[in-house]
Parts: sequence; structure tokens; C-alpha cells
Amino acid sequence: MTGKRDSWWGPVALLMLLIAFSMDLLVWQLSGGTEFSLIIERMLLGFSLAFGITSLALLLVTIAAIHQHARWKEQVIGLLLLAGLGLSVAHWQMGGSIEDMRNQGVMLFSGMAGMMAAVGLVFGLLLALITGREHSVDPLLELESTGGDVTVDLED
Amino acid sequence: MWSLSDPWVGFWLPLALLCLASGFWLTDRKDPRRRLSGVTLFVAMAIIVFFGANTRGEDTSETALLAVLLYLVGLVALMAIGSLIATFSGPSPVGPLPRGLRPLGFSMAFGGLIWIGLMLISKPSDAIANGIGETIWGAWVNVFLSVLVLIAAFAGSFCVMMGEERQKEASVLAILAIAGGWMFYEIMQKGSEGLEASGWHQIHWEQVMYLIGGLLGSISAVMAFIGLVYMAEKRAPDPDVVSPLTEEEKDVVDAVLRLNLELEANQE
Repeated sequence: MTGKRDSWWGPVALLMLLIAFSMDLLVWQLSGGTEFSLIIERMLLGFSLAFGITSLALLLVTIAAIHQHARWKEQVIGLLLLAGLGLSVAHWQMGGSIEDMRNQGVMLFSGMAGMMAAVGLVFGLLLALITGREHSVDPLLELESTGGDVTVDLED
Repeated sequence: MWSLSDPWVGFWLPLALLCLASGFWLTDRKDPRRRLSGVTLFVAMAIIVFFGANTRGEDTSETALLAVLLYLVGLVALMAIGSLIATFSGPSPVGPLPRGLRPLGFSMAFGGLIWIGLMLISKPSDAIANGIGETIWGAWVNVFLSVLVLIAAFAGSFCVMMGEERQKEASVLAILAIAGGWMFYEIMQKGSEGLEASGWHQIHWEQVMYLIGGLLGSISAVMAFIGLVYMAEKRAPDPDVVSPLTEEEKDVVDAVLRLNLELEANQE
């Protein structure tokens, strides 16, 4: 990697941030805006529920994969506390409604499925494009081995 | 009494079983639990299928999600199979497919996107026409298009900045980003068949923002898990000092080394 290319992630991250903001600004313009507090509230709700569900999923994976050399106590107790914390906060945010938690959990799966489909399509096409490049044959591959016999012409 | 039409049994229990199956699969090859992973996975999938079949037509969010995913499975499969055909019909050394199939693969992958476009301008089916099904479908489309635009722009710019003569790859990805962006603009400006623009705006502000928070929450949970593993390993006591080899053990090592060295010498 050359020195010029070392800082590739900066402009690319900036571009992505710019596109994401542009998409939100477009919707803002077309919809006439929305309550900023609603956005924050929804983001916090998604954060706490996803945090709880992911911790619970990791707890189940950890319990199923425990082995005699694992330091399982810290992981199991820690994940139990994290899952409890995330789900309790989400439960409180939803006014104690388990049904709302179920509905919002389902929405998380829907979003995750959409995200995975988009990422799969882009990287699938990228893989096809990158592996599909034609290269000129390396002339070194056409050389035949001399079996170790080398003649060196020395010129005075 | 528990029944398969109860969402806790028919939907959430199989998800828990899938997590357990993943854990079993991560165990050592000789561990008997590893054999349980396939069985657990099969049981989880069977319960979900029975739940979907039993609750068909009901308006619970879990049933609606399964109906929407079933509705989308065709186009997602088209895109996935298209990408695979395009990859394995290229000049790849592991490409067993004929070269002529490559354009078909790309057409299929882009066909999935066109399929979504057609779904947006045609009359929606019952699964996505109203209620929670419509919200789930709207959130899926909104997230799909937003992530498509962002990731395609990311991949395209990465190609241009990091590679030599990658204009062709970047152009294809730019087409993908522009097509996704155009579809996003259209649904936000004019709406789609069966869902007005205001409905799409509401989904964007309520569900997509919720999902962005959800993504951050999931990443945070994984980071916290890594932190727990790090803490546990840091607190682990140092391994005991191993005593030096006894004369008897040294003799065994010596014998093994001699045997192997003699074998190698004989082979030469």
C-alpha cells in the first residue's frame, strides 16, 4: 500500500456520512420534518432492545458451547446481567408492554434481513466483478526449469 | 397449555434453539454436543414452519414477519443465485460454469432489484397490504435501499481509491447505488402502490431510526461480550510452572527422535 492510499478510509467514511445525511435531508424536505425528540426516542428504544436481545443470544451460544477450560462464570454472569439490563430498560421504555417488545423485536429481524440482503447483493456483485478480471499471462510461468544446471557467462 | 400457534413457542423458542445450535456447533469435534447441533437446527426450523402454517392469516407480528420473508424469498434467492453464477462463470480457477452464463448471472442479480421495483408499482399482496405486515415490508424495503446505496457507494469508492484500473467495477457499483437511490427518491416523493408517501416518511422516521439504534445496540452488545472475555482471560491465573523432564521422559523423547530421523534417512 502506498503512502498516498493509507488514508483511504477518511474520504470514504466522509462520503458515506454525506450520503446518509443527504438521504435523511431528502426525507426531511419531502415530509416537512419531524420531531427530533421522536428520532432520539426511537433510536434509544432500538438500542436497548437490540442490546438485550443480542446479549441474550450470546448468552445462549455461550451456555451451549461451555467447555472445561472456559472461563465461563464471568461470561455467563456478565451476559446475564447485560441481557437483563437491556431488556429491562426496553420493557420500561415500552411502558411495561410485552406485546410491544415482541412487535419491536420482530421489526429488528425485518431490518436485519433487509440489511443482510443489501450487503449480500453488493458484495456478491463486487466479488463477481473482481474475480472476473482477465490478466495477461505471467511470462515467468512459461519458462522451463533447467533442473538446477545454470550456466553463467562472465564477461571481462 | 402450550401450542405451536403461541408465538413464544412457535417463533421465539426456535430462535433460542438456533442460538443453542450455534453454540453446539462451536464445540470441539469430539464433543458429543456437536452432533446435537444438526438435530437442534432441524427441530427449530420444523417448529417455525409449523408455526407459520398454523397461524396463517393471523395478524400477529411474528406471523406477518414470516409472511413477508416468504414473499421476499424469491427475489433474494434470485439475487444470491445470480451473484454466484456471475462469480463462478468468470475466469476463476474454481469456476465450473460455462463463460456464457456470466451475463445471465449479472442479469439475475440486477433482476432482483427490478423485482422490488415492480412490487412497488403493482398492487400489493395480502401479506404486505396493511397492518403490521405493511410496516414490516416498508421497513425492509427502506433499510434495503438505504444500505444498498451506502454500501454500493462505499464499495465503488473503495475500488477507485485502492485499485488500479477499477473503473469498470466502480461503474457497475455506481449504477447499483444510483438505481437504489432513484427508487428511494421515488417512494419518498410519490409513494408506492398501496402506500402513500406519508406512510413511507413515517416508516423512515419511526422504523429506520429505530433500526439504526438497534444496529448500534447490537454492536455495543458484541463489544461488551468481547470485554467480558478479555476480563475473564486477564483474571485467569498464570499456568503452573512445568517441571523439567525426568531421565525416563528424556529417553522416550530421544527414542522417538531417533526413530523419526532413521525413517527419514531410509526414505532418502
